[in-house]
Amino acid sequence: MHLIFTEVETSLLVIAVDLHSRQRYLREHPSQLMHVLDSVVTLANMHLMLKTKNKVAIVGCNAARSDFIFCDTDAIQPQPGQSGQSGLARQSDGQYELFAHLETSVKQNIKKFSVDENSSFFDDKDGESLIAGALTMALCYINRMNREKATGEKLNSRLLIVTGCSGGASQHMAYMNVFFTAQKLNIVLDVCSLDYELGLLQQGCDITGGLFLKIPQLQGLLQYLLWVFLPEPPIRKKLVLPPPAKVDYRAACFCHRNLIDIGFVCSICLSIFCKFSPICTTCNTVFKPPGSLLSKKKKKANKNVC
Amino acid sequence: MADEDEGNEYRWETGYEKTWEAIKEDDDGMLEASVAEIVQRAKRKRQAERRPNTRLGMMRHLYIILDCSDAMSDQDLKPTRQLCTAKLLEGFIEEYFDQNPISQMGIIVTRNKRAELVCELAGNVHKHVDIVKQFAQGPCSGEPSLQNSLELALSSLRLLPGHASREVLIIMGSLTTCDPHDINVTIQKLKAEGVRCSVIGLAAEVRVCRQLSKETGGMYSVILDDCHFRDLLLQQVEPPPAARTQDSSLVRMGFPHHNRIGNESGDTTSASNNNPMSFCMCHLDVESKVDSSKLGAAGHLCPQCGSKYCELPVECRSCGLTLVSAPHLARSYHHLFPVDNFQELDAKEIKVSDCFGCRRKFVEFDKHAYKCKACFRIFCLDCDIFVHDTLHSCPGCTSTAKIGVST
Ligand SMILES: [Zn+2]
Ligand SMILES: [Zn+2]
Ligand SMILES: [Zn+2]
Ligand SMILES: [Zn+2]
Ligand SMILES: [Zn+2]
Ligand SMILES: [Zn+2]
Repeated sequence: MHLIFTEVETSLLVIAVDLHSRQRYLREHPSQLMHVLDSVVTLANMHLMLKTKNKVAIVGCNAARSDFIFCDTDAIQPQPGQSGQSGLARQSDGQYELFAHLETSVKQNIKKFSVDENSSFFDDKDGESLIAGALTMALCYINRMNREKATGEKLNSRLLIVTGCSGGASQHMAYMNVFFTAQKLNIVLDVCSLDYELGLLQQGCDITGGLFLKIPQLQGLLQYLLWVFLPEPPIRKKLVLPPPAKVDYRAACFCHRNLIDIGFVCSICLSIFCKFSPICTTCNTVFKPPGSLLSKKKKKANKNVC
Repeated sequence: MADEDEGNEYRWETGYEKTWEAIKEDDDGMLEASVAEIVQRAKRKRQAERRPNTRLGMMRHLYIILDCSDAMSDQDLKPTRQLCTAKLLEGFIEEYFDQNPISQMGIIVTRNKRAELVCELAGNVHKHVDIVKQFAQGPCSGEPSLQNSLELALSSLRLLPGHASREVLIIMGSLTTCDPHDINVTIQKLKAEGVRCSVIGLAAEVRVCRQLSKETGGMYSVILDDCHFRDLLLQQVEPPPAARTQDSSLVRMGFPHHNRIGNESGDTTSASNNNPMSFCMCHLDVESKVDSSKLGAAGHLCPQCGSKYCELPVECRSCGLTLVSAPHLARSYHHLFPVDNFQELDAKEIKVSDCFGCRRKFVEFDKHAYKCKACFRIFCLDCDIFVHDTLHSCPGCTSTAKIGVST
């Protein structure tokens, strides 16, 4: 008895695009946003073209919100009256129709984000971009795609962040939760930075086996996206790609956000401090002075010798 | 009498009781959906029972006491109790270190009325898994000695600093124990030192085991089958509420740099300054076969004395500093800042058309939807489970300014 079992491998790419208007490159040339979006849409289309079953989703974020700007619920809208226009594309398996649709739905959906920027209600316009929020939504989405896939289908999912922001410290914990979840689910996290070396996101790339690239010039964004981030992780081994970033695993103290080699860790909540303090500012635990601990350590050391 | 009011504590007596009666065909005559719903309801129930904001023992120190007596060669677990236990323990060890990254574990085996320390308290997953694999090959003979094993564990645990949690997990196949003295004295000592002892019995209830776990604040259960055994082990992965005797303190720790020698050609100059022929301290004791690949390989350097280690976390052997990486610590934060349980709503009441997390449209089939009490976003059941079991961050809260900043 032979069961011939052909496994269909498909790939889901979820792109998180930073739409924060305070990104340095946008403050100088606001029109560059269209350039970045066009490049991202082209990358998405190229990914769909590689295999007919490939899937794409795009999440956007700024300091006020993060939200899907393209996902499967956008993809399956019937479009009456457009058959004449895209008659040629229709002859194929619907994939080409998707390309045009992807672009219009992205353009439509980013309008939500420009409303935030102009709204007087939203006053924290200089706040950090909510990339971690976009990533948590992306992971929920990937989790659903995994549930809904057909039996015998193998779905490889990965994440790509495109951002020109600098920080991320305020969402530190959410980022870490995202990194470890991605690692657990075998989801590779890639980062294409438009402006800064991003220590925190570099850790994420390292933890999940993804690539971090700070592009040298914005004009060439599309080339970098297609050369570096279009190939699937298994193929990348055969390509000459930028070397892995040297990840700095030093800890940032909770009190000053300085990077430290040696520090003090609260045994209750694991907060990190650069100096001894009698009370933990995170969980309000009162500590015994370090002297009592030292004597215990010595006792232990002596015991081990004899 | 005490046994009577504890009669309901086993999960198979409550949670899964008569689940077949609850299975109903849905409108299409499908059974699957309702089975899935029962499983998910059970998951949600477990989540709801988890109490938030209890003090957790982040730096756990756990001794596993393994019965290696005659009783372990029984074949009521397949292929034998010993092999089945070894297999399940491997999974447990990996999960334990995954969820308690700066914790330690030691292993004691007991056979022929003796107790033997086969692995001291350490934080290296591979070492522990290797030892458990050896245990699977080893002989099973004689009677176990609970008292000797407990005394051995206690002699090591009592040396730990006060902020460390002290735990023992006993896996017991035998129904008897051969003890040199009155075991109640040992139990009282364990209680006084704040050692939490849990027992998983493979055969039937043993009075002294119940006594031990009750006195020391641990759990006692007897397995039904291998699946239940696995569940019971996984319950031990979650850190227990910290024992009252535990002190809190600030612990000095080092965060080593990663030196990646040989990864990039441009790096060789700095590497040669860095003593390229350095051994790592963790593999020094494997003298029999000196693995040349370990020589000069990449590693983590202790910021205080410069000793090299292949893996973190570890306690520096020359200066005693605990070495960890920042993400190691971050991996445990979700225990301290869990996402609050979502509120269950009737699906008919909700005003949104799709789940905020995964964007699935709510359909006729959905009986319930779930609302985050902080950001008021609505989620589907699958996202509710995913957020609380795996992700540990609410997509709504992290996608909203101000709330997002604090989480
Ligand atoms: Zn500080
Ligand atoms: Zn604290
Ligand atoms: Zn080593
Ligand atoms: Zn050292
Ligand atoms: Zn959902
Ligand atoms: Zn929320």
